[in-house]
Amino acid sequence: MNGLLLTTQQALQLLLSGDAELWSIVMLSFSVSLKAILITTPFALLVAFALNHGNFPGRRIILAFFNSLLSVPTVVIGLFLYVMLTRQGPFGDLRLLFTQSAMVIGQMILCFPVLVALGYAAIQASDRRVWETSRTLGAPTWFTILTVFYEVRFGLLAAVLTGFGRIISEVGISMMVGGNIMGYTRNITTAIALETSKGEFAQGIALGIVLLALAFLLTALLSYLQGSKELTA
Amino acid sequence: MNEPLFIFRGIEKSFAENEILRKVDLSLYPAKCILLSGKNGSGKTTLLKIVAGLEKPDVAEIEYAGKTNSWKKAIRSIRKEIIYLHQQPFLFSGNVESNVAYGLRFTSLNRKQCRESVIKALEWSRLSDLAKIQANTLSGGVQQRVAFTRAWILKPKVLLLDEPMSNMDQESREQAFFLLCRMKSAGMSIVITSHVPQYFYGLADVQFHLSNGKLVQSELSACNDSP
Ligand SMILES: Nc1ncnc2c1ncn2[C@@H]1O[C@H](COP(=O)(O)OP(=O)(O)O)[C@@H](O)[C@H]1O
Ligand SMILES: [Mg+2]
Repeated sequence: MNGLLLTTQQALQLLLSGDAELWSIVMLSFSVSLKAILITTPFALLVAFALNHGNFPGRRIILAFFNSLLSVPTVVIGLFLYVMLTRQGPFGDLRLLFTQSAMVIGQMILCFPVLVALGYAAIQASDRRVWETSRTLGAPTWFTILTVFYEVRFGLLAAVLTGFGRIISEVGISMMVGGNIMGYTRNITTAIALETSKGEFAQGIALGIVLLALAFLLTALLSYLQGSKELTA
Repeated sequence: MNEPLFIFRGIEKSFAENEILRKVDLSLYPAKCILLSGKNGSGKTTLLKIVAGLEKPDVAEIEYAGKTNSWKKAIRSIRKEIIYLHQQPFLFSGNVESNVAYGLRFTSLNRKQCRESVIKALEWSRLSDLAKIQANTLSGGVQQRVAFTRAWILKPKVLLLDEPMSNMDQESREQAFFLLCRMKSAGMSIVITSHVPQYFYGLADVQFHLSNGKLVQSELSACNDSP
C-alpha cells in the first residue's frame, strides 16, 4: 500500500517537473495520432459523403463492410501490417517496419472505418434540402459538399474526436509495427504496457494519468458537441 | 406573345411502380406566372424539381435557344437560370445577410459589387434591419422572405415556388404576394404550386391542374378580377 502511494507520488512528480523523457513520449503519441487523423479525415469524410449521396450499386454492402471493420481488434490490424511490411513481405522494400510511419499507417487503418461510419451517420442526419438549396443557388459540387459538411460540423467533429480517442489509446498496432523504441516509436500506450513489466511503475502511472485526462477531455467535448447538435437540429 | 424561355417536353417520372408524371409538357414564358394546382401527392413537387434539375426524370427533352436536347444534356447549362424554392426553405447556418449572399460567389460579381447587391436586395425585401440575425431563428414567414431574397438577388430567368404561402400568416402572405408581383414585372417567369389557388389569383396568368400524371389547363377561377 505504502509502495503504491510512493510510486503515485513519484508519478505526479514526473508529470509536474516536466520530465523530458515522459513528455517526449507524450508528444510522440500526439504527433503520430494527429498525423493519422489529419490524413485520414478528408478521405473518410468524402467516402461517407459518397455513400450518402452517391447512387451506385453496392452502397449498402460497402457500408456494412465499414461497420464490420469497426470491431476488428487492433492486434489483427497490427499483424496484417506487420506481414505487409516485414522484410520478406510485399512492401518490405519500403523499410517501414518499426518506424513512426508504420504506426501512422496502422492508426489510419484503424480510424478510417470509425470516421466513415460516424461521418455517414452525421451526414445522413442532414437535411436533403441543404444539398438541393445549395445546388439550385448555383453552387458547384465541391462547394455543395463543403456546405453539407458545414451544416453537420458538430457531428463530423464528434466523429473525428471519437476516431482520435480510439487511435491514441490503442496498443496493438503501435506495439507490433512500432516496436517501442525509446525516443523513436515509444508512445504512451506501449510505454505503459512494456515498461511497467520492467518495473517502471512511476512512469507508467504518470502516462496513465495523461491518457485518462485526455479521455475525460474528449468525453467532455463530445457531450458538449452532442448538446450543440441538438440545439441546431 | 413572347417567345417561351424554355420548353420542357414529354416529362415522364415513376417512383418504383408508381407513375407520377406521364408525358407532361410545360412552357415557361418571361414575365408570366403559372399556377400549378393538384392534390397532395399528385407530383407537383416532383415536376418542379425536375424542371430545376434537382430530380432526374425517366425521360424528358428541353427546348431552348432554338435547340432541343435531352434533359440530361440541357439541364447543365440552364440550371443556373432556374431556381427552386422549397415549401419550407432551408436557411444555412449564419445570419440573414450571409444567406442572401450565398449564391453570389458563383457569379462574376466582384466583392464590392456583391456587397452592394446584398444591401440593395435586403432593402428590396425590407430585411435590412434583420441582416445580422441568425437566419434559422426567424419565424417561418420571415425565413420564406429571406429565401425569396436569396433567389431574387441572382436574377434567375425562372423561379419555381413550392407552396410558398402554406406556412404564412396573413401579413407575411401579403408581403410575399407583393414581392412576387415585383419579380414577375421584372420579367421573371414564375411557377407556383398550391392547393389553395385562390391566394394567387391576380398574379397568375394561367392555371394548370395536375392529376393522374397529366397537366390540364384550367380556367383561372371567377375571382380572377379581384387583386
Ligand atoms: N424520392 C421519392 N421516392 C419515392 N416516392 C416519392 C419520392 N418523392 C415523391 N414520391 C412520391 O411521388 C408522389 C408525388 O409526390 P410530390 O411530387 O411530392 O407530390 P405533391 O408535391 O403534389 O404533393 C407521392 O406519392 C410521393 O409519395
Ligand atoms: Mg409538394
